[in-house]
Amino acid sequence: MLNLDINGRRVSARRGTMLLAAIREAGFDVPTLCHHEVLEPYGACRLCLVEVRRPGRKAGRIVTSCSYPVEAGLLVETDTPAVRETRREVLDLLLARAPNASRVRELAAECGLYRSSYPPDQNRDNCILCNLCVRICAKLGFNAISAAGRGPKREIQPPLGEPPADCVGCGSCARICPTDNISLVERAGKRRIWERDFEMVRCKQCGKAYITREYLASRLGQSGLPESHFETCDECSRAALAKTMFAHLVPSEKGDAA
Amino acid sequence: MSKLLTVTPTRCIGCRTCEVACAFRHAQEGLPGRSRVQVRIVAKDVFVPVLCLQCDEAACVKACPVFALWRSQETGAIEVRQDRCIRCNACVPACPFGNMSVENPRKAVIKCDVCNGDPACAQFCPTKALEYREY
Repeated sequence: MLNLDINGRRVSARRGTMLLAAIREAGFDVPTLCHHEVLEPYGACRLCLVEVRRPGRKAGRIVTSCSYPVEAGLLVETDTPAVRETRREVLDLLLARAPNASRVRELAAECGLYRSSYPPDQNRDNCILCNLCVRICAKLGFNAISAAGRGPKREIQPPLGEPPADCVGCGSCARICPTDNISLVERAGKRRIWERDFEMVRCKQCGKAYITREYLASRLGQSGLPESHFETCDECSRAALAKTMFAHLVPSEKGDAA
Repeated sequence: MSKLLTVTPTRCIGCRTCEVACAFRHAQEGLPGRSRVQVRIVAKDVFVPVLCLQCDEAACVKACPVFALWRSQETGAIEVRQDRCIRCNACVPACPFGNMSVENPRKAVIKCDVCNGDPACAQFCPTKALEYREY
């Protein structure tokens, strides 16, 4: 454990933890878009900026708190004019990049930005290249997508831009995306994501499609759960539970309940 | 053993106060659709409030690839650590009782966590069909 100072408060943190975790633990808020608790720090969105100053030094500097390990005696300020100004500039750029992303707009509005001072990027989608989708996919062990291209041409795509062979259609990437930029469409028992169609398993009782075949197989293998767990959708499972509960508690009315 | 949230279906009158109480406790909008407890109509005038059973060997915990679900030491309930959840939704179909649900705008999974030891549903249930008591 080592001690540091966050916004004038003495805080102790374990060696090796990142500043962001220590700041949030101390009860202060720092906005992030690319950070996720279960993933390695990535430092792409540049929103978690804070000002740090080593003891004995006069000048502070701006660092990304998600990827800066805690140091003994470090003086951290999360809301100085320099931090606010730099964050505003970052949001100005993000807003030009992803003008329609609601999370970006919310964060920008918080520092008084409603329109980017840069010309909006017309030809692009709302991807801010935070790589959360890629990292989540890798965490799940599928590695179906990655970032390709360099500079302004960089984008997230499946290998060779073709429908990804390793994808199981779990949809984690689409749900985790901070700018809702990944399209996931479900229609007629099929899920379409990354230009690939997945056949979905239907609930044995109501016929609702609720999980892709590939994802089910992968989950069964990893969790060791029996397949019977996955036979009905959550609605039907709940209905069955209600029936069972009532039948057990009121044996005489079993006939009515069932 | 600490306290348990118990359900006595024979006392339930189907008023759905628990659903509203739950939704207000957990979501700012108070939409009953985001409730973690659901009153099911089993037959005519037969109501059963359904919520997480906090299984000893929980399928949701086994299905989670990132250990975002774990049992609270204080209440014994299984909680979702929202900051760890990666929205893979594996726990939703895995629960054999259908008690994991998806909260739509954030796409995060939600489940009953007995409100950290002070369940709103039991507090507001007028007939004590839902009770939080020593077991």
